[in-house]
Amino acid sequence: MNIVQLKKLQYEEVAKCTRCGFCLPNCPTYAVRRNEASTPRGRNAITRAIIEGRLELSDDLAEAIFTCLGCGACTKACFPAVNTKDSVFSDRACLTEVHANPKIFEKLSEALNEYHNISEDDNEDRAEWQEYLKDVPGEFIEKDHAEIVYFVGCVASFFPMAQKIPADFATIMYHAGLDFTILGGEEWCCGFPLIGAGMPEKVAELKAHNLEKIKRVGAKKAVFSCPSCLHTWKHLYDTDIELLHSSQLLRDLVGQNKLDLKPVELKVTYHDPCDLGRNTGVFEEPREVIKSIPGIEFVELPNNRNMSVCCGGGGNVEMVAPDLSAAIAQRKIEEILSTETKTVISSCQQCLRTIVTNARRQNIELNAMDLTQLVLKSLSQK
Amino acid sequence: MEIDALRQRLKEIVGQDFVLSSNVDLMLYGYDAYLEMRRPDVVVIPENTEQVSQVVRLAYEEAVPVTARGSATSLSGGPVPLKGGIVIHFSRMNRILEIDVVNKRARVEPGVITLDLQTAVAKKGLQYAPDPASQKTSTMGGNVGENSGGPHCLKYGVTTNHIMGLKIVLYDGEVVDTGGKAPDRPGYDLTGLLVGSEGTLGIVTEITVRLIEQPEAIKTLLGIFETIEDASNTVSAIIAEGIVPATLEMMDRLVIRAVEESVHAGYPQDAEAVLIIELDGLKDGMERIADRIIEICLANKVREVKVAKDETERNILWTGRRGAFGAVSRLRPNYMVCDGTVPRTKLPEVLRRVTEIGREYNLPIGNVFHAGDGNLHPLILFDCRNEEETARVREAGTKILRLCVDAGGTISGEHGIGLEKLHEMSFIFSPDDIAALWKLKNAFDPVGGFNPGKVLPSLAS
Ligand SMILES: Cc1cc2nc3c(=O)[nH]c(=O)nc-3n(C[C@H](O)[C@H](O)[C@H](O)COP(=O)(O)OP(=O)(O)OC[C@H]3O[C@@H](n4cnc5c(N)ncnc54)[C@H](O)[C@@H]3O)c2cc1C
Ligand code: SF4
Ligand code: SF4
Repeated sequence: MNIVQLKKLQYEEVAKCTRCGFCLPNCPTYAVRRNEASTPRGRNAITRAIIEGRLELSDDLAEAIFTCLGCGACTKACFPAVNTKDSVFSDRACLTEVHANPKIFEKLSEALNEYHNISEDDNEDRAEWQEYLKDVPGEFIEKDHAEIVYFVGCVASFFPMAQKIPADFATIMYHAGLDFTILGGEEWCCGFPLIGAGMPEKVAELKAHNLEKIKRVGAKKAVFSCPSCLHTWKHLYDTDIELLHSSQLLRDLVGQNKLDLKPVELKVTYHDPCDLGRNTGVFEEPREVIKSIPGIEFVELPNNRNMSVCCGGGGNVEMVAPDLSAAIAQRKIEEILSTETKTVISSCQQCLRTIVTNARRQNIELNAMDLTQLVLKSLSQK
Repeated sequence: MEIDALRQRLKEIVGQDFVLSSNVDLMLYGYDAYLEMRRPDVVVIPENTEQVSQVVRLAYEEAVPVTARGSATSLSGGPVPLKGGIVIHFSRMNRILEIDVVNKRARVEPGVITLDLQTAVAKKGLQYAPDPASQKTSTMGGNVGENSGGPHCLKYGVTTNHIMGLKIVLYDGEVVDTGGKAPDRPGYDLTGLLVGSEGTLGIVTEITVRLIEQPEAIKTLLGIFETIEDASNTVSAIIAEGIVPATLEMMDRLVIRAVEESVHAGYPQDAEAVLIIELDGLKDGMERIADRIIEICLANKVREVKVAKDETERNILWTGRRGAFGAVSRLRPNYMVCDGTVPRTKLPEVLRRVTEIGREYNLPIGNVFHAGDGNLHPLILFDCRNEEETARVREAGTKILRLCVDAGGTISGEHGIGLEKLHEMSFIFSPDDIAALWKLKNAFDPVGGFNPGKVLPSLAS
């Protein structure tokens, strides 16, 4: 993206920023870094200065611009509702254009180009998680035609820590008698990491491929366990098919009495993933599912729903500033522990991965579970 | 000393990570919520009083200006480093050091967010009363710097009435205490002098505040009016009756609409004015006072009075009020607030004139203000990217302040002088008055290093 395009896209948006600073206490990166470059106000001032020719595109900007989590918390605190995260992502695209972006993103883009996934594995291995399936016959999961496509996403496909999520979700759908399939090796990365990497134009190829495959299956619905895949599809993919998150599908199944939920004696809290809650508006469905399980004692986090604080795993920040990401995760863990629960439920494999990795690093006893895992646990009780 | 050498010495004092000097960082420490921007030469983010003292001493030795900065929400250019130099950002000095429940005092570092202090003391049944609309983000150091006010200051007084003592760093780095927990300290009232001095006399590194009991009961009413005049008359009538509500806040039609668009606070969009009237104190007798207020509203042709049923409804009413400045920027990207005060009885007349000035300069003006103490905040809406319009805004702003002074009021209720209102100081003070103030300034800051170019106009002009 060049500056003319940046101006066209974001000038009116950042011009609304009155520098009132109301967003400062909501930004997790400011809470850790304590400097103006890590505030939403500062990031908007940078965008504006670039557009007005007061600031050159250079490496100097990378620290401020590539450490935004894209969590959207600032916009909720902002009376003129300045959309900081989208402006920041546009800045990233400008910095990429002049090669002032972190080199690690070039590698990411090459990997996506070659392997169509973020972990540089053979894309045929996408269905590796099926090893975790116990009583679901393979032919139920990979079909030519189905009513629902389950879009698994890169993290849940390839990262061992997250692979139980698709296995559990598939098991639930199988027992509920749903007609679904996955795309297997034909599922390509949705393109979300490219937005955060400042390469939005590279999403097109991935998008065209995925849309084509889904069309071929003749699906009416696509379901996602990854909120960021869902968010990307909702905002960048033009498609008529219904797009929903696993928590929404689970809520529907609960509503239709299709799940035989048995008591689980557990005190839990719930972390709203940014891309599911604040950025897509799904707050109540996961809560309804949790509360429908007998025996569960549910407590809210002090900052919940629109005020939920990012886990530290957003915006590709982990790739460029791992210390910042870890410090934000640490604050999240402290918030969870303040509720005197040892189990946090979420509906995003990335949040869970960030929370669990950091808790382990510090030897903190904390159980983090995806909503699907909690539901399967309840179904499996004797 | 070369600038690089200065930066190096600062790194030795506060640590490598907390000295900022990149091109971007300097741009980012050049603004507040006012229009003017200037770059510092270097920014430091210290951790304690000792570091601040060393930074100030170094600045003194090297004849470099020092400007303190909290959250930079000032509306008058307070933390803008007009002459460059060092900006001290207090974001890391944000600890609540002590809450003394028995003596009803708290001791905090200057970077503590006002609302964080309020929340912490509320857990102990106490209250820190001053409540600027920016409380969720403003710092205590900034509140002291600007002597901030807020809706509840009608009853409880502004920041200065709640500050018991300060730890300050003097121009040469020396650290002194101006007061403490005890009331009525003998000798000169240095605390009172420092509050509202906008960082021009000393740098505050610790603040001891007075806490009060939380009120036993609160009642919040929303009066809806067909004309501003009726609302203003109601305000005068309530005060004339000898009733001092905790707040008496007014918003006009333009502001009501902007707020409704952003948060749905429940203000009717076709009303010309609303008043938020809050009572707090003992439960006993509160109903009676509320009834009397409703009678007064009715006598002044109120259309309707709504009563907040619970804490949620009350919060919604206040969210709207606190967001009013931000909400108007949905209409135009910028606003200028004219923070003038007038005697309450002059409100209707002055507001009418403000509307005329808006028409004369062809600028939209909204009103949201502390009606109880006559502290106006006409918001002139504009787009600072349009230079001609911006020039008109400045002229209209000056005219409005002149109007306030002519009506027997003054040029700043609570947002400070900063660099915004230097010129207007001459509306209030004679050259001799200003020369006297300069003597005071020079006594504290003989080298002119603290926040130069603020508060006092130069004697020549
Ligand atoms: C939307 C909005 C609403 C507002 N509403 C109100 C309101 O209702 N009432 C009100 O009074 N104000 C209001 N303000 C103005 C502003 O928020 C207050 O003046 C506030 O006290 C500033 O705090 P800050 O931390 O942002 O200080 P800054 O803006 O950073 O600094 C303010 C001044 O204090 C000085 N200072 C800061 N820290 C120190 C220190 N440690 N030692 C010495 N000097 C120091 C600075 O040099 C500067 O001169 C509002 C502003 C905005 C943007
Ligand atoms: S982004 Fe919004 S909340 Fe933050 S400083 Fe700008 S206007 Fe204020
Ligand atoms: S999107 Fe999140 S991390 Fe980025 S500026 Fe806003 S609050 Fe901060």
